Order: sequence, then C-alpha cells, then structure tokens
Amino acid sequence: MKRIVEVTINGERHELALEPYRSLLDVLRNDVGLTGTKKGCDVGDCGACTVLLDGKPVNSCLVLGVEVGGSEILTIEGLQRGPERLHPLQDAFMRHGAAQCGFCTPGFLMMASALLDENPAPTEEEIRFGIAGNICRCTGYTKIVAAIQAAARDKAEGKA
Amino acid sequence: MSRVGSSIVGTSVKRTDVIGKVTGTARYAGDVKLAGMLHGKMKRSTIAHANIRRIDASRALALPGVKAVLTHENVPRVLHYGAPHPRSISVTCDQYILDRKVRYWGEGVAAVAATSEEIAEEALDLIEVEYEPLPAVFTVEAAQAPGAPQIHETAYAGNVLFKPVVVTRGDVAQGFAEADLVIEGEYETGRPTPAYMEPNVCVCQWDNTGKLTVWVSTQAAFMVRGILAEVLGLPLTRVRVLVDHMGGGFGAKQDLFQHEFLCALLAKETRHPVRMEYTRGETFVGGRSRHPCKIWLKQGFKRDGTIVAREARTVFDSGAYGSHGPGVTIVGTTALTSLYRCENVRLEGRCVYTNAPIAGAFRGYGVVQTYYALDIQMDEAAERLGMDPVELKLKNAVREGDMAPSDHPLVGHGLEDCIRRGAAEVGWAALRQRPREQAGTLRRGWGMGCEMHGSSAYPGIKEQGNAIVKMNEDGTAVLLTGAAGLGTGAHTALAQIVAEELGLAFDAVSVVHGDTDIVPWDIGAFASHTTFMVGRAAQMAAAEVKRQLLQRAGEQLEVAAEDLEVRDGVIAVRGVAGRRITVRECMGPKLGIPAANLVGNGTYTPTKSYSFAAHFVEVQVDIATGQIDVLQVIPVHEVGKVVHPIAAAGQIEGGIQQGIGHTLTEDYVIDPATGRSLNAGFVDYKMPLSLDMPPIRTILLETAPDPGGPYGAKGIGEDPIIAIGPAIANAVHDAIGVRFRHFPITPEQVLAALKEKAGAAA
Repeated sequence: MKRIVEVTINGERHELALEPYRSLLDVLRNDVGLTGTKKGCDVGDCGACTVLLDGKPVNSCLVLGVEVGGSEILTIEGLQRGPERLHPLQDAFMRHGAAQCGFCTPGFLMMASALLDENPAPTEEEIRFGIAGNICRCTGYTKIVAAIQAAARDKAEGKA
Repeated sequence: MSRVGSSIVGTSVKRTDVIGKVTGTARYAGDVKLAGMLHGKMKRSTIAHANIRRIDASRALALPGVKAVLTHENVPRVLHYGAPHPRSISVTCDQYILDRKVRYWGEGVAAVAATSEEIAEEALDLIEVEYEPLPAVFTVEAAQAPGAPQIHETAYAGNVLFKPVVVTRGDVAQGFAEADLVIEGEYETGRPTPAYMEPNVCVCQWDNTGKLTVWVSTQAAFMVRGILAEVLGLPLTRVRVLVDHMGGGFGAKQDLFQHEFLCALLAKETRHPVRMEYTRGETFVGGRSRHPCKIWLKQGFKRDGTIVAREARTVFDSGAYGSHGPGVTIVGTTALTSLYRCENVRLEGRCVYTNAPIAGAFRGYGVVQTYYALDIQMDEAAERLGMDPVELKLKNAVREGDMAPSDHPLVGHGLEDCIRRGAAEVGWAALRQRPREQAGTLRRGWGMGCEMHGSSAYPGIKEQGNAIVKMNEDGTAVLLTGAAGLGTGAHTALAQIVAEELGLAFDAVSVVHGDTDIVPWDIGAFASHTTFMVGRAAQMAAAEVKRQLLQRAGEQLEVAAEDLEVRDGVIAVRGVAGRRITVRECMGPKLGIPAANLVGNGTYTPTKSYSFAAHFVEVQVDIATGQIDVLQVIPVHEVGKVVHPIAAAGQIEGGIQQGIGHTLTEDYVIDPATGRSLNAGFVDYKMPLSLDMPPIRTILLETAPDPGGPYGAKGIGEDPIIAIGPAIANAVHDAIGVRFRHFPITPEQVLAALKEKAGAAA
C-alpha cells in the first residue's frame, strides 16, 4: 500500500506515492530521477549515498522514503550554488584531484559540506574523522583531505 | 586553467571528466533508465561443487510480475572466454553462460527478469534447484592431491590450468655452487579483492533490427562487444557497447561477468530493456579477487652481495574459473627474472583450479605476489650479509640494457634513481644508525621495497593503441578514443597529448569515447598502457592532422609547409617575424568555400616499457595489541614523463591505500569446509579508511624516459600497489625483529610471533 509523502528536495517540493519498504536512496534515484546519489553497498557501510536530511548527513540507503515527510533534503544535484557557480568544495575537489572514478564523490561532498557547516575550520584530524564513514578506493584519501582543507580556507577567506 | 603550447604535457590541467562527477551529472551505467525497463536478478548456488540434477522455474514464472526465467536449459551452450583478449595465452576458454554444473559457492544458476527488483528477488526463492554434490577442493594442495575431483574437463592436467611456465637463464646449479650464502623461504599471499565502489551493473536493450545495445561498467568495451557477439552468434554490427563513466575496476572489470550475458538474453526474451546490478555482496561473490599465491624462493649471494642464483616455484590459485590465471601466472613468475639482476635463474609457475571464488586480473597482476617474496628475501639477505638493504638493492638493481622479463633490453637506470632519491629523502643512512624509539609498548621501524612493472601486456598480447583526431572549422580538435575512462584521468591525459602535439590550448581539444559504434577499436584499459600506448597513438594521429594543417597554412601563406610551426594556436613561419595565421583563421570557411576535412589516424603497436619505484615506509607496532600502523610513506616513482602531476600522484596514493590494505587487513575469506563466502561486505572486509591512511609524500622522477611513449611517458597505474607490501613487512622486521613472509599480517599473528620470539630467546 503506497503512502503519500511530501518532501522538499533541493528546494523543490515533491509529492511522492511510496511503498513503505523503499529506501530514500531508491526513491531519490528512481522516483525523483536524481541519480547523482550513488549506491555502493545499500547497507550503510560505504557512504556513497550520503545526502543531507534537514541539514544532517545520512546514509540514504538506511532511511525509508516514507520517513522523510515534511523534511528538507539536499543531494549532490542541489549542492551547486547556481548554474555557473560551484560550491567551494566542488571546485576544490576538481582542483585537487579528489575525484578519480567519482563514484564515492557525491557522498564525500555531502559529508564534507555538513562538516564545514558545523566546523568551518576543521583540523586534518577532524576532517579525517568527519569522512571516516565514507569509503574511497581510488585516492588514498590524500587529495580528498587536501581539497576539504582548501575549501575551508577558501570559505574563510571569502573567496567562495 | 587554460594552458597553451609546450606547457600542457606536464601540467595539472583541470580534468575534463570531473565536472560531472562533482555535480552528480556524470552518467554511470547504473544510472541508465529506459521506458519499460525490467529488473534482472541472479540465483546463486548454495554449494561449491555439484551437478545440477533438476532445476524447476515453474513456480517463479507463475509469480505475477515475472517476465522470464533463464536456466542452463534455455540459454545457448557456448564455451567462452570470460576474459578479454580471447585467444591470447593470458586467458582460458572454460565458461558457459549457465552450466549444468556449479564450481564455486555463489555461482549463478538461474536469472529472472521482473517488473521490480523486489519481485525478481522473490522469484529467485521460487526456483527449485536440486544438486548432486561433488567433492570440493579449496586449496591448491587439495586440488593437486591424487584423487582430487577434476573441476574442468578443459584443464591442462588434473586441476592444473595450463602447461606450467618454466623460465631458465644461465645455470642455477652452478650459481648456487658459487654462493657464499643461500637463503630459501616460503611465502604466501592472501585473497584481497579490488572492491571498486561501483558494483557491477549493466542495462541491455534490443531494437527491432535485432541490434543489442549494452550500457555496462567495463574497462574493455570492445571485449564485451566481441565476446557477447561471439556467444550470442551476432555480427559486430549488431552489438553496441556504451560506457560513459565507470566507478573503478582496478583490472577486474576486464572480464565479462555472468549477468552481462544473462541481461542480454533476458532483454531478448522479454522484448524489454533489462537492468541487472550486483549487490555489494555479489560484487565479492561473483566478482574477481587477486590470486592467492604460494611462492618458494631460493637465492644464492656472494659475500659482497652479488646475486649468483635464483630459483622459484609459484602456485597461483585461480579459483573456479581460469579468467586471467595463465596471464597472471606468467607475468608474476617471469617478473622474478628481474628487478634484481641475476644471471642464473630457474622459475616454474603454475596455476590451479579450486572451488574457491574466481580470481582475475587485479592491479599488479601477479607481480604483487612474487615481488613481495623477492623483496622480503632481499631484506633478509642484507641482514645476513651484514649489509644495508639499500646498498644491497642498489648493487643488484636492474639497469640500462639488462634483459627485462619481457625479454627485451631495459631503458635507463630508473630503479637505481628511485632507490637513491628515496634514501636521500628520508635520510636512510642516519635512520639505520639511530637507536630504535621505544615508547611504552610502541615500536617503530623503517623499511623499503622496490618494484618495476611493464606498460602494456607485451609479449603475452601484441597490443595496439588507436586514435583518430579531427580538426573542426574553428580550429578546435576532437580526439576519438576507445580507451576507457576508468577514473584515472586517461581522457584528460590523452587530450593533453593531442593539444601539445597540435599546438593548441588544452581547452581546444575535446574527447569522444565510450561508444563502440563510433570510436576506434581498443583492447581495454589495463596493463598500465593507456597513457603509454594510446597516448602515443593519439600523438601520432595529432601529428598527422598537424601535417595537413601546416600544408593548408602553407598554401594560404604561400610558404613551404616545412617552414611552418604551430604553437599556442598560431601558425608562424619559423624564424620570420610577422608571417603568421591563427589555426582558426587557417581552418575557417572562406566565402563560398566550406571547411576542410582534416583527420588523422594513429595506430601504435608497442613492445613494452618499464616503470620503476622504491617505497620507503615507517611503521609503528604495538607489542601489547599486535596492531601495525603505517606512519608515513615516501614513494618514489620513475615514470619517464609526467603528463598530469596531480593525476599521477593520485594513482600512487590510491595504489598505496590498496597495498596497505592487502598487507595488513584485507582478505576475502571462504569457509574452508564448504567454500561459503564469509566476509562479502565492507564491515567484515576491512579496507583502509581515512583515519587509517598515513601521510604520503610522492616523488615523481623523469630520469628514464622511454622512446616508445608519448614524450617519453610510461605507465603508472599498476606500479604503486607493488612495492608498498614488502616495504611494510621489512619495516615491521626493523621495528620488532620478526620477519613475516605472508600477507595480510594480522595483530594475532604479530602477538603470536612475538611470543614465539620471546620463548626462543628465553
């Protein structure tokens, strides 16, 4: 039996009819057509599906679609600040080579944006702790950490 | 960052593929959604070795929403190569889409297409399979024991895949007779998996002309096309394979996987597009691991450190199917002819079927295993000779003119350069002299490891790089390449090479890839060969376009084409100020005259070049818990010419992450009694996370450029995973005096070894 769920996704209101067993990840990808959020494991181990639920990072594979009624969700597609204006993290990820295959990248960006919202000047240790729930198999995390540090600096200096 | 002229190669231009990745718009195979699309799922065996006595799909077919079920009874029975480059010596022809027999726990036995994933999954439970169990073997010893069950009728002998490879140089008996010190050891390596982030996935659709289109996550689109066409009995014009972005592969996604055949057949049967995606668990179970390996290695040394003999026997566990077993065995075994010079060598490598999960191609391709053994034994030899390991390795390091494993002479002194630079960088001599730090239960140590690895699969496969470059009427250019965008930044590197050769800005070159109907044939992205081989082909194609361009400009400027040069988008008469025309002006349509058609085709069939590395590592061992932490890594890589410094460093850092995982925590485990998968998930299969990774200070050298590569460039993808393992094991020995000869090295083993050492000392 489907249930009607009203939710705001990337600033846009949606009314969705959802089976109660379907994950938010599945709903975002298949009902809303936002395929930027990736499914790496579907059991909350890898962080590739991280989105912001009322500003807090969650593994969208572990949240049911029917649970998010009345909430605001931000996905990778909504991170950009304008058609030609990237979020400082997106720009830093590009400049620093933090995305290789790119499959984990949306999850990292969402997690890192939540981190910087909460702590605008994190230490390297705090960054590494902040992204410890996201797995990347390509980069060794070196350039991801560097990109988050650079984005934090850019934000502090008002460049972005 | 728009760079022009001769500064493009060697500059970290903004990677062209990354904007889609950071904005979520990059399309991966799993993102494809088609009208009327069905969902496919595979039923997997619950037994490691059995004949299928009976399989009954009638209850599944009766479930509302189920559109088709395939079993071995209704799929084409064609024995096929599950791995690319069919008919090369690297791979075996031993797979059916679905067989009457299962050879490992989790092998696919049936597939369902249904209107939703949930219904497809439910239907799997309704398929009844009755097995006739067969004895199963899970180790290479059991598989080779007398009376062992034969897993494949197509094997060379018993469960030995192919005729064991034997390499002989000089006279080992005489070499050992001359030795002052002989060291012999047995080494064993685990079963790590590539664990790429994107689970295997494909979408298949047939049109009314009988043409199959496949969106798939693969490193080798033309191999998928070729093998699908062969098995399904189609001409190549009836199979189109599309790969835009893919979420990593690390070698394993060269193979064709069972779901790719089944997805195509389900789509045909149902006349609907079908999508099939592995779960993370299936990506372990039905994916490809590294070959677990046992190595017996014996070397003879003179008192001064000269190696006078080397003898080795390797046994690689292929698991249930051959995949790259022969290639990995040959490459891994013959690698032991080299790295450290030795005139008298005898090597024997074999590959054995077991009822374990399938091993396949994985970054480092057999060399990860054999150089782990070799480099640990070198460290031991240094200790017993009373020499410094750096000194011993430098003394024996391969150099200019030495015969490479591929049997052609090496270029340059890359290995020596890496060792010297790394030793200077870390202050090795002083480190060796220092008193060992001891804080409570923590012990620190330094170690180093070396490697070399070839770009391209020559001589096993005579590969070929292809490229087409076209110039547009506004003076911009398009590169058409079949090389896959695995995530390495290959397309950016290729565009850099084209821009450099054509004298255009980097932004003036775009790349078309990922469609087998359009781009030139490519063997696939593997063997560290894309920059080296396809890069050279792209350079050749660009050079041909440049020749045509200068010819055209010469006519316009009324000078000989030979007197012209192009830089920064401007064509000028060499040595004459003022006589110039922009590329755009030269190419543009004139009144009543349409644009020119400038097209260059490049084809390059390389031999092989070798890249080199030395990794220096500091570790910390907690003798109370057995925990090993890697504190810092200084990798030094000689790559001929760096095309994109950030992307090159990224390859190295990522390879080191995987290598640290291999050495300390990663092992895909099966139940030794049943072959059942025990840790097919990221909680139980432990990969290094952000908190586990040490600082990495990468150093890139360009001291031994290869004349075969574009601007001297050689491969980089495979190298970084090889040297890190022995560097860690050697550093652990430096820290606690225990020499481990296997990976992964677990805390329990560290504690047990320390206890044993204390017992022996008491």
